[in-house]
Amino acid sequence: MLAAASKKQYLFIALLVIAAIVIGFWEPHALIYGIQRGSLYAVIALPLALILGILGVLNLAHGEFLTVGMYATFVLFSRFGVDPMVSTVPVTLLLAVVGVAVYLLTIKHVLKAGHLSQLLITFGISLVISELIKSIYTTQPRGVFTTYSYSSTTLAGIRFGTYEFLYLLIAVAVLVGLQLFLKKTRLGQATFAVGQNPRGASIVGINVSFVYLFVFGLSIAIVGLASVFMVPRVSIFPGAGTPYTMKSFALTAMAGLGNLNGILLAGIALGIFEAVVNAIPGGSGWSDVVFFGVLILVIMTRAIREGRR
Amino acid sequence: MPVLETRGLEKRFGGLLAVRDLSFSASRGEILGIIGPNGAGKTTVINLVAGIFPETSGQIYFKGQEINKLSTHERNHLGIARTFQSVRPLDHFTALENVMIGALFGQGMHLAEAREYAYEICDLIGLKNVDRSIDNLTVLDLKKIEIGRALASKPDLLFLDELMAGLNADETAEMIEVVRELQRRQLTIIVVEHIMAVVRELTQRCIVLDGGAIIAEGSYEEVAKQERVIEAYLGKEE
Amino acid sequence: MRNKAMLIVAAFVIAAASLPLFAGPYFLSVFNTIFVYMSLALTWDIMLRTGQLSYGTAGLFGLGAYASALLVAKAGLNPLVSIAAGGAFAGLLAFFLGFGVLRLRKIYFSITTLALTTVFSVIIRNLPRLTGGASGTVLPRALFNGDPGKNYWMIYCLALAVIAISVWLSKSKTHYAINAIRNDEITARSSGIDVFKYLLFIFVLTSTIQGVIGAFYAQQYAFVQPEATFSMNFLLLPLAMALVGGVYSTIGPVVGAVLLGLVSEYLKLIMPYGHLIVYGIIIVLVVLFMPQGITRAFAKLFTRKMQVGGVDSASLRD
Repeated sequence: MLAAASKKQYLFIALLVIAAIVIGFWEPHALIYGIQRGSLYAVIALPLALILGILGVLNLAHGEFLTVGMYATFVLFSRFGVDPMVSTVPVTLLLAVVGVAVYLLTIKHVLKAGHLSQLLITFGISLVISELIKSIYTTQPRGVFTTYSYSSTTLAGIRFGTYEFLYLLIAVAVLVGLQLFLKKTRLGQATFAVGQNPRGASIVGINVSFVYLFVFGLSIAIVGLASVFMVPRVSIFPGAGTPYTMKSFALTAMAGLGNLNGILLAGIALGIFEAVVNAIPGGSGWSDVVFFGVLILVIMTRAIREGRR
Repeated sequence: MPVLETRGLEKRFGGLLAVRDLSFSASRGEILGIIGPNGAGKTTVINLVAGIFPETSGQIYFKGQEINKLSTHERNHLGIARTFQSVRPLDHFTALENVMIGALFGQGMHLAEAREYAYEICDLIGLKNVDRSIDNLTVLDLKKIEIGRALASKPDLLFLDELMAGLNADETAEMIEVVRELQRRQLTIIVVEHIMAVVRELTQRCIVLDGGAIIAEGSYEEVAKQERVIEAYLGKEE
Repeated sequence: MRNKAMLIVAAFVIAAASLPLFAGPYFLSVFNTIFVYMSLALTWDIMLRTGQLSYGTAGLFGLGAYASALLVAKAGLNPLVSIAAGGAFAGLLAFFLGFGVLRLRKIYFSITTLALTTVFSVIIRNLPRLTGGASGTVLPRALFNGDPGKNYWMIYCLALAVIAISVWLSKSKTHYAINAIRNDEITARSSGIDVFKYLLFIFVLTSTIQGVIGAFYAQQYAFVQPEATFSMNFLLLPLAMALVGGVYSTIGPVVGAVLLGLVSEYLKLIMPYGHLIVYGIIIVLVVLFMPQGITRAFAKLFTRKMQVGGVDSASLRD
């Protein structure tokens, strides 16, 4: 599940650094913005990869859980005046509970039902969540304004926002946390074993169904954590989280299943790439095409390399 | 000219060399046994010849033609058919329809034609009640469906992968008769088998695999005596 | 028994055909929409019969719609011809895409078709000179000058044609091939089935139909716009309809479309925001509790009463 950084990965890092330096000279804002956005993509993609890697389920409702977290943060802020930073704990816990509930009610029952049922049920869940939010809060965009999220600083004559560097911090924290959990704790090692071979794991006495429940709850909690930090910077509407499902899958596919470190690298690479496209005059509309184009390309090359006849 | 010939066939899965430098041939009307302990690479050989996955190196000749680059269905069209170790019947199809698949696509028959031919095949292999769903069939019948589907594509070369596994003594005897009948029809048959009594009964010639390579070749009586074979098997003898 | 069934079907066909003679425009438009979704539901199901779950229905629908609308707006093509052209465009594109996409299986196929839908709509939005960009293109005249009866007949005929194609497929050699592929691809290959050829055939066929239906939709409303034309509704509703009715069959999507089509009309009235939640709940419930669909559940109920066996028991879980 967690391959150590391979030679290829170091090569990729080297290329990324070179590209970053070049872009840094040409368009420093694109570089900074890319690293910030890319880290955010990685935080959101990690839990998707975890669920896919351990449970074998592609959660198409991933982005909708993000939306739930945003609205929860928004409600705490607008109703009770809770600052988003303070909301971190309650929202993360709330999402863990939501994740566990959704798992117990639905996902649990389709784990053995085949990929069609899984794809359909998570698609159905995504719809239920987004439509539920629509029926409660309508489609009107909401926002949470905090002064600190728009603070900026000037370095070497370049002025840039500082708040979003928090994403990089969280990405590294979540990644390190996950790696430590998987390597150092008993439950983590059990999780690792289940990801490798659920049958074997259950034979040696690992409670596989608990591991599944835990991984799903933990993953959705991480999504909640990400949503809290996004809220001060994004507009909140029922479809706000939706694109992140595909973006997360793009990163997972790029990194290769089970390569958690790779997700952060892929996130930063795609983040910079996206920022560069946006920086090209007239390019801003095309960044989604770039993102999905890369996704399709990556999936294709992987499929072809796997070499089916 | 042999029906099947392989030269220096090799298959590597990552670090594992599953089949190494494998050269063998089978001629028309022959029943060739491929035996060897678990993990010796027997089923991999079938998968390579059937084109389920590509070989790492080596050549495969079928009726004199190199078939390395052909895909699985093209090889079937040329006359290579197989059964699977774990039976893989098509759900929601009747036994007859399962057999029809081979005739429809292996032979390119029309529906009506394929149906007629499938009845013939079922008759030949002693498969009864062919118009019922396959849900409650015995292992013997499921295995017969496997053979029937393979036969319906009118192959020249038929692989039987662990055909007798899971059958009782009476059923095994019945199945041996079926295979003999096929041999009388000039089919080349390659059996991969664990049950040595069956190998002795059916085959004229065996190759013994261990660790993906041939360690012995000859009649069952000859190879069974060899030290290396006994070592590789140890305890598998019945 | 068989004759009786044929009579019932014939009665339905004639009753539906004569609807414009006595029904008002509202009622006609409801059924018009139902036939649009019914056709899409059938194409989604036909693709699913090969074992591939496509999330690209809305994408090819939208492309057909845009191709047809732009041919009328920019090249002055006859609207009816443009509907055929819309289908041809979608089919041709599917043919070329197929060489890549159809190498993929399971989640990779599904997510790539979903990504393609997004890519199509973003590309169209980003070519304002050609497509009108985000605000879309309005056509000078609606199909048949907006005559509700004629439009109804048109989509009714299209839907009947799709039903006929679906029935024909289920009785053809292709039926055996695609079922075998869904069941076990290795067995299918080993039995001589050219898997790619059949997948490509079904992909192009269903995409063409989706393109035609999209083109009709565009001509009927004389309007294309990225958000409306590539709306997820054109994926979601057909998918829910096929699931409810029962997948891998013709009757399932047909019954599901009528059922959910009527339900959705009612819901739209009582729930202006978020009425699609019902579809989400339906999808979840069907997957959990009724993967064989409503038609098979009913058939089972009746045959048990009559002590007759032999109900087709296919379900999503296979």
